Amino acid sequence: MSIFTEKVGMTRRQFLKGSGMLAVAVIVTGVFAKIGFDAFAASDEYIDQRIAGLYTLDEQMAIRKSHENPEIIQIYQDFLSPGEQKYLSEKAHHLLHTKYGKDIPAFIEELNQHRDVA
Amino acid sequence: MLSSIVLSNGIIQVTDKCKACDHCTSICPTHAIKGRLGEKHHIEIRKCINCGQCLINCPFGAINDVSMVDERIIKALKDPNKFVVVQEAPAVRVALGEEFGQAPGTNVKHKMYAALRKLGFDKVYDTEFTADLTITEEGTELIYRVFNALGVPGYEDFGPLPQFTSCCPAWVKYAEDKYPHVLPHISTAKSPQQMFGAISKTYLAEKLGVDPSSIYSVSVMPCTAKKYECDRPEFMVSGFRDVDAVMTTRELAQMIKSAGIDFMSLEDEQADRFIGASTGAATIFGATGGVMEAALRTAYEVLSGETLGKVEFKAVRGRKPVREATVEIPVKALGGKVLPVNVCIVTGTKYVDPVIEDVLAGRSKYHFIEVMNCPGGCINGGGQPIRRDTY
Amino acid sequence: MSEEVIKGKVLKHDTQTRTMHWLHLLAFIILGLTGIGFYWDIAGIANIFGGPANASLVHRWAGVVFTVGPILYILLNFDRFSRFVDTITSFSRDDFAWLKTMGGYVPFIKIEEVPPQEKYNAGQKILGILIIIGCILIIITGFPMWLWCDVVSSAFLAICYNVHFWTAIIMILLVLGHFFLAAIHPKSRVEFASMMLDGYIDAEITAEHNAKWFAELQKTE
Repeated sequence: MSIFTEKVGMTRRQFLKGSGMLAVAVIVTGVFAKIGFDAFAASDEYIDQRIAGLYTLDEQMAIRKSHENPEIIQIYQDFLSPGEQKYLSEKAHHLLHTKYGKDIPAFIEELNQHRDVA
Repeated sequence: MLSSIVLSNGIIQVTDKCKACDHCTSICPTHAIKGRLGEKHHIEIRKCINCGQCLINCPFGAINDVSMVDERIIKALKDPNKFVVVQEAPAVRVALGEEFGQAPGTNVKHKMYAALRKLGFDKVYDTEFTADLTITEEGTELIYRVFNALGVPGYEDFGPLPQFTSCCPAWVKYAEDKYPHVLPHISTAKSPQQMFGAISKTYLAEKLGVDPSSIYSVSVMPCTAKKYECDRPEFMVSGFRDVDAVMTTRELAQMIKSAGIDFMSLEDEQADRFIGASTGAATIFGATGGVMEAALRTAYEVLSGETLGKVEFKAVRGRKPVREATVEIPVKALGGKVLPVNVCIVTGTKYVDPVIEDVLAGRSKYHFIEVMNCPGGCINGGGQPIRRDTY
Repeated sequence: MSEEVIKGKVLKHDTQTRTMHWLHLLAFIILGLTGIGFYWDIAGIANIFGGPANASLVHRWAGVVFTVGPILYILLNFDRFSRFVDTITSFSRDDFAWLKTMGGYVPFIKIEEVPPQEKYNAGQKILGILIIIGCILIIITGFPMWLWCDVVSSAFLAICYNVHFWTAIIMILLVLGHFFLAAIHPKSRVEFASMMLDGYIDAEITAEHNAKWFAELQKTE
């Protein structure tokens, strides 16, 4: 009974093919990793584009300062501080300011009382 | 009731579609998402600030936000007794177009007004108006806090420096949950959304001669935390809910699509009178550093009495999570003394802790600190269109 | 050739080859099982491995074995690997003829004579190529999900998950087919013992199934 075994070693062609396959695997992995990192770098470009959109819009506006908004001037003149341009007036403080955290329950109480008086 | 769900469970929920990839736990600024890789995740409600960053960053669209569209907005629009008014945040107008094939940053403000009228809103206003109002109130508050710190008599009622902004409801909830001692530093000014709610049911009702009880105030926001904010119990200064319902940019796009409106071919329209006019300062509220820049434009002119030649403060712009700048303002009330105002801008709540620690330890050199929860500002909020084409 | 009785044995698979095959197979079974459990939310499967989080841990470390096993084998046995790659990537006229008759495995395709084959027949060659491609894809999509899950963008992560899933499904089907032909089909189940046990196969069978290769072996004798 005879035992047949394969010849060890490899021919030039086999070596090239074997290394070629390894090289392909390494390149595919590298390309994939590059795609991943590029993708990550590009993944928040839309944030810059949206920000740029807002700044462009700002530049196109005729009025670019809040206190020059004609309707802001009007709401203080007509309603929040009648007859004058007083920021943080009593009415503005009542309508436009709030409280935080543990002050909230007392604040709600205060608002309810204010309504009963009014 | 929807409002009790909102207040007890929050806005953000992880659904069964969760693939346990663990991506969101690194996104969450408050470590509110529990679950290891391989385990379905869930949100710890106590820690969640409803910012929705996990939602827009979930690879599988497995995270949902509570919708108020069907239960509140559609009902109000169908109710003939309701006078429905709507406000839209600055960040919505440069992102809404993305849902209709436009590039990010395309301004669709005027088409948005037209679409909202078509959807049946009785009056279309703009959050930018109350953003301007926020600047006059919050900016003035800052000036008074500075006077208080300088020992000018008559300003003792105002809080300590530095002053934090209060526009971002996610940041406010974070401070309330984790740093109650920093609350006196947060501006008492309401956020623009809540100011609009209060104004719409008082001033606007008066101007238009409409019964405030019939006014239904809706807002379109780039934000999921705004939904939580509108249901917070203290916002009822008008005697009613100040803001009745909030929808996100995504939900507005969905409403426009299901109403069969051809958005991009709409004629340009303008916002309505009284509380619809806006300025460039309000527009940039949607970007990180925008509130700061808007406040500086007004504070500089009010304090110095001079007119700004160049309105841009480029130093506060950018995308870095923590930025600082110094602006020198000559103060007329102090005889022309130049006051160097140190400002700081934080975008991303996960970067705010060291800034707060400094403030609490008394080491902070800043006068005014802007905090926005979402990286890049409101334009990258949890309610904005989800980008799937950029990898 | 069929007239003459050939005695003797052929060493078809070396010890290291068989060890690698075993290691890869066991890792593959664990990975496939846990993976199926994750995708379809089968609690039973996760519980075998001690809950979803632990099952995921098992999946990841089995993935390491799945990756490191073949790499070690290739580095230690570069000549074997090279010959293997050469064999499976060279298609001769006989191979195409074999594919036309499907090697006589498909009952309704009539065959007169199966063309002589090398160490691996044309079907095995195609399987080999597909398994190599599949392994590369599944490995390079697998590790980002684990190591980079908080670094990469969500859309990239979604691509990884999808490619990983579909590659896995195709690989599982391929391996099931491979198992059927190599261990169950009466025509070729003798192969099972050579890969899974001692590495030897009867010379007579080799002469019939892999005539070209056997002729080469006889030449070198």
